[in-house]
Amino acid sequence: MASATAAGDAAPPDVRLGPSPLLEVSDLRVTFHSRAGNVYAVQGISFSIEPGQTLAIIGESGSGKTVSAQAMMAILPRTAHVTGSIRFNGEEMVGRSERELRDYRGRCVAMVFQNPERSLNPTMRVGSQIAEAITTHLPLDRKQAHERAIELLRMVRIPAPERRFYEYPHQLSGGMRQRVVIAIALACGPAVLIADEATTALDVTTQAQIMDLLLDLQEETGTALLMISHDLGLAASYAEDVIVMYAGKVVERAPTKELFAGVRMPYTQALLDAIPRIDTQPHVLLPVIGGRPPDLSVIPAGCPFAPRCPEVQQDCRDQAPPLKQHEPERWWACWHPYRKGAGQ
Amino acid sequence: MSTSASVQSVSRSGSAFARRLAGSPALRLSGRRLLSAIPVLWGVTLLSFLMLNALPGDAASALLGINATPAEIRSFSIKLHLNEPLWTRYGHWLAGVLTGNLGTSLASPQSVASIIGQRLPVTLELVIYALIITFVVSVPLAVLCARWPRGVIDQSSLVLSMASISVAPYVLGLFLVILFAVHWSIFPAIGYTSLGASVAGNLHTMTLPSIVLAIPLIGFYTRFLRADLVEQMQSEDYVVTARAKGVSEWRILTRHALRNSFIGLLTVIGLNLATLIGATVIVEEIFSLPGIGFELLNAISNRDVPVVEGIVLVFGIAVVLANLATDLLYGVLDPRIRHVRARS
Amino acid sequence: MSVPAADLLTTAPAQDVLGGVGAGPRVRSRLRNLEIIVPGALLVVLLFFCFIWPLLYHIPSPTVADLFEVNRPLWSPGHILGTDAVGYDVMSRILYGGRVSFEVAAAVQAIGLVVGGLFGMIAAYRGGWTEAVLMRILDVFIAFPSLVLVLAIADSLGPSETHVIWALSAFSIPAFARVARAATLRLRDQPFIVAARLSGTRTWRILLQHLAPNLAPQLLTFSLLGASLTIILEGALDFLGYGVPPPTATWGNMIATGQSFISVYPQYVLVPSVFLVATSICLNMMGDGLRARWGVR
Repeated sequence: MASATAAGDAAPPDVRLGPSPLLEVSDLRVTFHSRAGNVYAVQGISFSIEPGQTLAIIGESGSGKTVSAQAMMAILPRTAHVTGSIRFNGEEMVGRSERELRDYRGRCVAMVFQNPERSLNPTMRVGSQIAEAITTHLPLDRKQAHERAIELLRMVRIPAPERRFYEYPHQLSGGMRQRVVIAIALACGPAVLIADEATTALDVTTQAQIMDLLLDLQEETGTALLMISHDLGLAASYAEDVIVMYAGKVVERAPTKELFAGVRMPYTQALLDAIPRIDTQPHVLLPVIGGRPPDLSVIPAGCPFAPRCPEVQQDCRDQAPPLKQHEPERWWACWHPYRKGAGQ
Repeated sequence: MSTSASVQSVSRSGSAFARRLAGSPALRLSGRRLLSAIPVLWGVTLLSFLMLNALPGDAASALLGINATPAEIRSFSIKLHLNEPLWTRYGHWLAGVLTGNLGTSLASPQSVASIIGQRLPVTLELVIYALIITFVVSVPLAVLCARWPRGVIDQSSLVLSMASISVAPYVLGLFLVILFAVHWSIFPAIGYTSLGASVAGNLHTMTLPSIVLAIPLIGFYTRFLRADLVEQMQSEDYVVTARAKGVSEWRILTRHALRNSFIGLLTVIGLNLATLIGATVIVEEIFSLPGIGFELLNAISNRDVPVVEGIVLVFGIAVVLANLATDLLYGVLDPRIRHVRARS
Repeated sequence: MSVPAADLLTTAPAQDVLGGVGAGPRVRSRLRNLEIIVPGALLVVLLFFCFIWPLLYHIPSPTVADLFEVNRPLWSPGHILGTDAVGYDVMSRILYGGRVSFEVAAAVQAIGLVVGGLFGMIAAYRGGWTEAVLMRILDVFIAFPSLVLVLAIADSLGPSETHVIWALSAFSIPAFARVARAATLRLRDQPFIVAARLSGTRTWRILLQHLAPNLAPQLLTFSLLGASLTIILEGALDFLGYGVPPPTATWGNMIATGQSFISVYPQYVLVPSVFLVATSICLNMMGDGLRARWGVR
């Protein structure tokens, strides 16, 4: 517990970029209490999103990125204990009543989920599922909701929307289903759209189509887009800014271009090395990150990446490096960062 | 050939629904199931025939009473063909069944078909009435339990369910009779008024027996539905999608999860209808209802083989039909089945 | 009849009783323990009084009526639970009736467990023809209303405790066979079974040494739930006049004879009913609790 507070003290740097953050997260912590012990899934993260911005949160499974997204959507299970602050347009969302949060979900912040196979109700027509999202927040009658749903289906480029409205999820392909999920998310014109591994379950071609669609729609609607992914390559191609998470903490944050020009944090470098590249020799094994992902049931005294880090030194094990702004628009949490151009 | 002809004639009659039904894959599948039920039904009749003939007593002495002389018994046996070998008798009976003749009761001049025709409606009404009571109580109760798992309602319903599953129907029947018939005189203790004679009188006599039949079912189905609902609410992704839309927990429960849980519930009910029909025997005995189970007890003690055989066959057919109905309803409730089968 | 429970329970999800979020995990596990310990302790106490108490202390005979002591109320001196219309000591009949219930339940479950378990295991393990034939036979039993079967057997064999056991076994064998088959199907292609088969282990040895121990938790919890049902069914047979014949003391007989006096002396029905239902609840609770704890379906 003592180390938890130590990490907390080191935390909340103000990482806002523009003048008016739409969604502002500061020192967000999510802990799951269970019989086996506590799991510290998110250990004090802070960031903000401006209107129209595209931000990517990158990390491997267990880094806390999905839990953070769920916290922002206020859809965590009741076993989760959330502290810190999530402000939407300056209004605090943590600790709100369920009724107020219902109003917030879908209307202010909406989410596209990872698995289109499972994220739609198999026994409901897709049109009704979109219409439900509309009527939940907007004072429209059945007919108007129906029209708006068809409009949304058209907007996510689904052909023959009048017919598709009456179909069931299993009648659609994976890509089509994900389009429906996107239509649901956009139903009430949210200010922030969270895409949690939205293309992971899709094949590569569809992946690109869905990503392009998301960016087009972002342009059309002016919504901010928060991409959550394990795929640094994907973030590189689509996001303006990248946040890298490891073991429930933000370890590096930078504008995408700058990040690829020179990585500071060894973990980010390791992620980068794991991306297959067009100029990689065939039949050469891609480097993997050695060791195991961190155990989130204990908060380590030192840097959480220390056990797997190639650059590890004694001070890394003794004390966790805080996330600090070291250069304009660049933050990292590392005692021994790579210097510009190094580690490539 | 014949099927296509019938489909055409139906389509000419203009009923689009009938046409769809005739060509529906669910029906085709049910046809296959019907065919596979034939050996099972045959086995059921053979088993009961063998069993009844293994009984130490015989119909002649059972029906003529203990004062009958051996000569009387012999002539009675010859009259009823009871002296013929077992297989001959079974062959006769089976040949009769295949030509639609269930034979004549040994104890009375009535035909087995007319006995069953008289008794079956009573039992059917009992089963249907009990199922209606079960649904009316179980579904709202399960939803309330699932809304607050381990809450006050859930815990008390758990205790009550356990008690209702554990209570023997003859005990329950007796106590309900004491309370409602003897103490408060709300319902009669025994007796039966047919639906044709008086609807109010019929409901008056059938309510108490139906409640006795329904109570263990209520206990079980409430727990089953509750468990399935809780499972859906906790682990299904589409529930998360609905939450992210801002849909209220109540609405998710009743509009999303319940529909999906009904599919599982239906399967269980279909599978257990056989035992439910068997259970009517005791209830009919307690309340002296002239149903098929009541008749069965008489027939068994009279060694009235044709009647027992006929009733067992009816029970078997009821089970097959129940499974069939489950199949069809399954298709209505689960669009995946409806369309996947349509494609294959 | 609560007959459906037997079949229903085989399809019931394991988390049925104690799943759910809300209460803290520690509270939940304590509740789960209580749910096993309390009914277990009650059953042990009842078993002690039924089987051992009569050996240690003299209690009135359950089948010798005292004609001068009829219709005594509860808590009478010498007759804690009173006497009935004939002059039987109710307490003594409850204890001896409990013996019958427990003996029948234990025997029926043991027969079902061994015979049905083997049937199901062999059917699922051998597959192909063996399974097809065995499953068709099981289908016949399932399509056949179980109670009819039980009544016919009880009737044909004549009333006695042994025959009741045989009759009710006709009910428990197919039920166990279904459960064992489903569980074996899940295990059949597990690596440890495949490994045993590839290393040339004999089939019966695989069944008994490798499969059976893995099926044990599921079959044992199922037998607790089944025991509850058996006790209810045994009472039903007595009640319908197809069970253990009077004057032998059984709970079902006591309820059946007490029926005639129900408006004047409701305790003649009430007392055995309380014991019957309480025993059944305890068995069900233990079965459910163990099922949740062992995580079996």
